Amino acid sequence: MAFTYFFYFYQFHLHFEEQLQMFLFTKSYFYDFLSRPGGLTDYLGTFFMQFYFVSWAGALIIAFLLILLQYQVFAISSKINNYHKIDYFLISFIPSFLIWGLLCNENISINILITSIIILFFAQLYLILKKRAIRWIFFLFASPFLFWIAGGEFWIFNLICFVIELFYYKHLKISEYFVLALLMIITTSSPIIFSWLARLQYPLNRLWWGPWYSRYPIVSPTTFLLSWLSIPFSIFITTILPETSKRKNAIILKSLLFLVIFSGGVFIVIGSSDQKKEKIMSYDYYARNEKWDKIIELANKKDPKDPLSVTCLNLALAKTGVMGDAMFRYFQNGIEGLLPTFQRDFVTPFVAGEVYYHLGFLNTSLRYNFEAMEAIPDHKKSVRAMKRMAEVNLLNEEYKVAEKYLNLLSKTLFYREWAKHTLSIINNPKAINENTEWEKLKKYQFTEDFLFSEQEKDQMLGLSLLHCPTNKMVYEYLMAYTLLNRDLKHFYEYYPLGKEIYYKKIPSHYQEALILFWSIQPLGLDNIPNMIDVPVKQKFIQFVNDYSSEEYKTKKELFQKKYSQTYWYYYYFINQII
Amino acid sequence: MNTRNKISWFICLTFFTIFSGCREKVVNENIVNSLPPIYPDYIEVTIPASIAPLNFTIRNENFELIDVLVKGKGHESLHVQGKKDIQFPIKPWKKLLSENKDSSLQFMVSIKQNGNWKTFKPFNIYINSDSIDYGLVYRLIAPGYEVYSKMGIYERNLSNFDQRPIVENTLITGSCLNCHAFNQNNPSFMSLHIRGDNGATMLKVNNDMQMFITKTDSTISSCVYPYWHPSGNYIAYSVNITNQAFHAVKDERVEVVDKASDIVVYDVKSNKLISTNLLKTDDLETFPAFSPDGKTLYFCLAKKMDLQNDYKKVKYSLCKISFDPSIGKFGSKIDTLVSANDTKKSVSFPRPSFDGKFLMFTLSDYGNFSIWHKEADLYLFNLSDGTFHAIDQVNSENTESYHDWSSNSRWFVFSSRRDDGLYTRLYISHIDQNGNVTKPFMLPQKKADFYDNSLFSYNVPEFTQKPINLNLLEFKNKIMNDEKKQMQFEK
Repeated sequence: MAFTYFFYFYQFHLHFEEQLQMFLFTKSYFYDFLSRPGGLTDYLGTFFMQFYFVSWAGALIIAFLLILLQYQVFAISSKINNYHKIDYFLISFIPSFLIWGLLCNENISINILITSIIILFFAQLYLILKKRAIRWIFFLFASPFLFWIAGGEFWIFNLICFVIELFYYKHLKISEYFVLALLMIITTSSPIIFSWLARLQYPLNRLWWGPWYSRYPIVSPTTFLLSWLSIPFSIFITTILPETSKRKNAIILKSLLFLVIFSGGVFIVIGSSDQKKEKIMSYDYYARNEKWDKIIELANKKDPKDPLSVTCLNLALAKTGVMGDAMFRYFQNGIEGLLPTFQRDFVTPFVAGEVYYHLGFLNTSLRYNFEAMEAIPDHKKSVRAMKRMAEVNLLNEEYKVAEKYLNLLSKTLFYREWAKHTLSIINNPKAINENTEWEKLKKYQFTEDFLFSEQEKDQMLGLSLLHCPTNKMVYEYLMAYTLLNRDLKHFYEYYPLGKEIYYKKIPSHYQEALILFWSIQPLGLDNIPNMIDVPVKQKFIQFVNDYSSEEYKTKKELFQKKYSQTYWYYYYFINQII
Repeated sequence: MNTRNKISWFICLTFFTIFSGCREKVVNENIVNSLPPIYPDYIEVTIPASIAPLNFTIRNENFELIDVLVKGKGHESLHVQGKKDIQFPIKPWKKLLSENKDSSLQFMVSIKQNGNWKTFKPFNIYINSDSIDYGLVYRLIAPGYEVYSKMGIYERNLSNFDQRPIVENTLITGSCLNCHAFNQNNPSFMSLHIRGDNGATMLKVNNDMQMFITKTDSTISSCVYPYWHPSGNYIAYSVNITNQAFHAVKDERVEVVDKASDIVVYDVKSNKLISTNLLKTDDLETFPAFSPDGKTLYFCLAKKMDLQNDYKKVKYSLCKISFDPSIGKFGSKIDTLVSANDTKKSVSFPRPSFDGKFLMFTLSDYGNFSIWHKEADLYLFNLSDGTFHAIDQVNSENTESYHDWSSNSRWFVFSSRRDDGLYTRLYISHIDQNGNVTKPFMLPQKKADFYDNSLFSYNVPEFTQKPINLNLLEFKNKIMNDEKKQMQFEK
């Protein structure tokens, strides 16, 4: 189930998470993790998450670990109950379902699952130790050790051990209860003790709730607490529930249990899923991998509405050379769907960075990727940003910086080959130019300096076009910018800049804009130049007639159906900001 | 010799035999007449006797093994081999250095390639008996634009490789740490600025730590670029409204410009910010630094320009104004030491040596954020005769920027982007009483590939005479506490 879910319904979440880290196969990378609380599980989590690069592998890993967790919970509760209550097998699925729900959040790491598994492994060891003294000494060391390697969830181990003492080993004297309680208190204070002794550079609440289960340092602890407590709860509840196998209604009870747990599980997973984000991530994934046809295919199924998806769609239309003919066939939401404004986060700059890269604004693309990487709250860097930064530095002839990034990427699993190949051509301009995309981007590179202005994007595009008048994509973005802004005056002014692009025919939307512009000039419709195709002209006349007719007011849907794929419809009917 | 000692000797001898036996002999070597391409470049550098081992590797050559034989003036030597790099053991290294003060060590480097040895021309490293401070304090931060990730203020022990965090921004979520400063390298007087939701400026004098809000109604921003008065009674700051912009061409990246800036001095005892109309003008005043006698305040001054079109015309001069620490008053005139009209360039980061002989500054084509200017170089101003010159021995094709003097003024540390063009690294150089400067050496690290794997830049290096004593718990509590002291401006 979990495999199917993550592979078929949530694969772009996996890809999204994979790009927000950079796992290196080096000793210093490993030691760096070990030097901080929760570091080992974070290391393992980061290791596993790199396999999200291949979505089936990521789905398989998650599914396997969820099953392992369920098996461990079942194994412990079975042993405590001397294998008499296997009817409650289904209860052992509760923690896995809850953690599965957590993993639907792209900012919750698989660390939380690995931590639970490690804790249960230590609990299993605790179960093996028959001699109380040895067992308690083991506990005294294992609990703080677990804090150091696995982080704030460590105290669940204490709770499980308590349940084990209570229901498995039993027969504790009052004084022994007192000692056990003392041990529990001491070990549960591990974050405070470590914080003080090791001068840990984290606030205490972060040590209790992480530090590395979530990408963000501040988390809402309720969901964490629920999933953590579900582990000792599942063990505990099995021990106190009566045996069912001898009862007459055992089958009914089992069926009821199955229904409750699995419907509850499905409810949790569906409730935690965010298919809207999954869709945006799919657009971003295809843009990142330059699968332009896939993006258009997605949009053809359903118009994207959010600015980031529209940005990817517009990029895909421009890259496939149909922007001027097709962009208004889809929903457009203004400039934010063309060139998103810089945000101090790790999502928007990545998408905007893609656009600027393909436009030839290499420094802006470099900055956006760098900023996106730096904005990742768990500081794990980003293979995606690193790759793009290596490319831009290579094109900027900053070879040593490019080499540094490529050397780092060559220590990863999935980017190694690309990095090694690129390293092999780093000092060979001829080989670099053999990459047609790079060759083109080098041609677009600015030679005269100016300061990039986020507020004057049209001017930036204009400067780029002046520098390289054959840069078709920049021309189309400049045109699109004016069209989306409903700025027909500048559209008309900039339109001749495309004379060196040599279109076989004027793109449809440009014709639509031109006829609209001329129609509102004193010249009037009758005197428009003959460069407009006859069908476009006829359709416009029809549009004007329909728009001014009384019928329009009553048959808006019909009107939308007829004209929604024209620029005129956008111009008059679409709100700029959705 | 008792039994215990005998056993110890036996163990030592066994180890020695085993490890001597492990070392390959350099035989039938091909001697070449070129210097070894070592990284970092330590060839012919001058170092203090207490410095950590200068471990290195070979670049641009494939090898199976590196062999290094270090010889001093006597019979003592150090022989080390490594598969990836050379890591000198600390104790013998220290011994060799202390026995060769004011002399040199000769390094004979050989590499094994395809089973054959190649020996390079030997080179020297000079050991100067002038002492250097205990350590360096710097900020580690990714060389970014607006967004910052993990960063911190770190202390590095110069006699070994130990680096410890003083404060990291993981301690106060979302914060930015900058502007750390000490009084003439004495960390008992410490200033640190924390930006963010719980932002404040920490002042610590001995064990007394206080958090301050430094923005007042009469000043244009919070206080930055601190410089302690040698008495410990004052701290000079500048207050700046800055703007950041980004270049389009490949050779340039970031431009940080001041829209407005003034200079103020904080009187520690009376909790008052003081200034003079001469330092709070419509022009741009920044980068204050007290002279070692505390009677002069050096700073940079530029005419205000239209930042959109004329930002390249903003050029700072090096100026000074007298200061009377007994009453906390400034003089009535500003003297220009290095005029931007003459140099057609811009001065930043003036830092007088503590012996009062020199003043080092950074000179770039324009503006004050020289750290992003490739052409930025270090200059030395002779305070006795008013002459200045570029320090050619330390300047490179890339950025040289922030710098600091050692307590005895015989060493200076500076940041440079020469290593790869982006990530600033620290370099230390010796300077004698007459201003003669030696080739700098890169801050040594245990592993030669350390800098390759680091995605941090070294920012604002400051020497410190001893380890910083900062109670992290107290720091955390005070910074999170809303009760911060408001600095007052004396009108």
